[in-house]
Amino acid sequence: MDELELLKKDWQKGAADFKSYSDTDIYPMLHKKSSSIVKTLFYISICELVFWLLASVLPYALSPSIREKLDKSYENPLFIAISIFSYAVILVFIYLLFRSYKGISSTDSSKKLMESILRTRKIIKFYVIFNLTLFFLSIPLSLYFEYQDNPEFHQQIVEASTTQMLVLYAVAAITAGIIILILWLFYRLIYGILLKRLNRNYKELKKLEV
Amino acid sequence: MNKELEHSFVEQLQKHQNIVHKVCRLYTNNADAHNDLFQEITIQLWKAYPKFRGESKFSTWMYRVGLNTAITLYRKSKRRITTQEFENVQFKIKAEEYDDTEEQQLKLLYNAVHQLNDIEKALVFLYLEDKDYREISETLGITEVNARVKMNRVKKKLKTILNP
Repeated sequence: MDELELLKKDWQKGAADFKSYSDTDIYPMLHKKSSSIVKTLFYISICELVFWLLASVLPYALSPSIREKLDKSYENPLFIAISIFSYAVILVFIYLLFRSYKGISSTDSSKKLMESILRTRKIIKFYVIFNLTLFFLSIPLSLYFEYQDNPEFHQQIVEASTTQMLVLYAVAAITAGIIILILWLFYRLIYGILLKRLNRNYKELKKLEV
Repeated sequence: MNKELEHSFVEQLQKHQNIVHKVCRLYTNNADAHNDLFQEITIQLWKAYPKFRGESKFSTWMYRVGLNTAITLYRKSKRRITTQEFENVQFKIKAEEYDDTEEQQLKLLYNAVHQLNDIEKALVFLYLEDKDYREISETLGITEVNARVKMNRVKKKLKTILNP
């Protein structure tokens, strides 16, 4: 294409058009803050971690009545197992996330770099899905524990009619559903904005492989 | 140790800074955005520098980090500016080489390139820098065949933009 050759000619002689930075201009640049997408992703993942940790620790630390209840729940082996499992998942998540961040390198090919970033995002996504699932399961589970340990509640359930039970189930399910939906939309929004361009460019690269 | 590393890095970057400027020229449209992207590429180059072993030339290595920063890592959205500004900042031609039709043609060409998407720009950039298809494919992470196919499509697209 003649035009592109013309452009090439101009492009290659155009070097002198740029402002030339001196050593003293460049030194301070090395120590400025980066505004890279990886850094933002890193901060978001730290926030996720802290948020879900606080969500599990704060009620215990702040409310004596919840603490009392939870202490009692710890007598139940199922509850202990779930707690241990969820802390194990957090540790695995931290490890995977750390490894994934180490794997992101700006010297990889464009496609590989995008894939490493998307993989990191996937790890965060799984962690969020895990927490949401746990949250969803905790509603029937806490009802079950309450049923086991609280004689008053036990009695109420035994005496409840089928309709009352259905209403109870429905309310629990709908509440959990709405909270999860809100959290889910919130995540879609954060990652949607952050990774919009990356996703678009990644698709563009992948398109060639068809 | 760090001072020495810093010194050798700055020295090399200073020598090859035009590569970074050229990436900025393609991916930004005004002086502020240009400087911002230059800054971010410098940070990314510096962060990656300890791993630079000299297997490839410093300049080759810069193409990769520079393009990766422009396409993937850079997060600011200041880059969307009007074409007008782009022309004013980017289009300069030396007085002695002044040629009205050529100038007009180049102006249109730079505008057309600017309308391409990020990946297409990367292809054009590497092409303008006289890189062969092997290097283009390695930099972008696609096969050589796909790089050729894509380049042909970019040329067609440019033609369509120039002659709608």
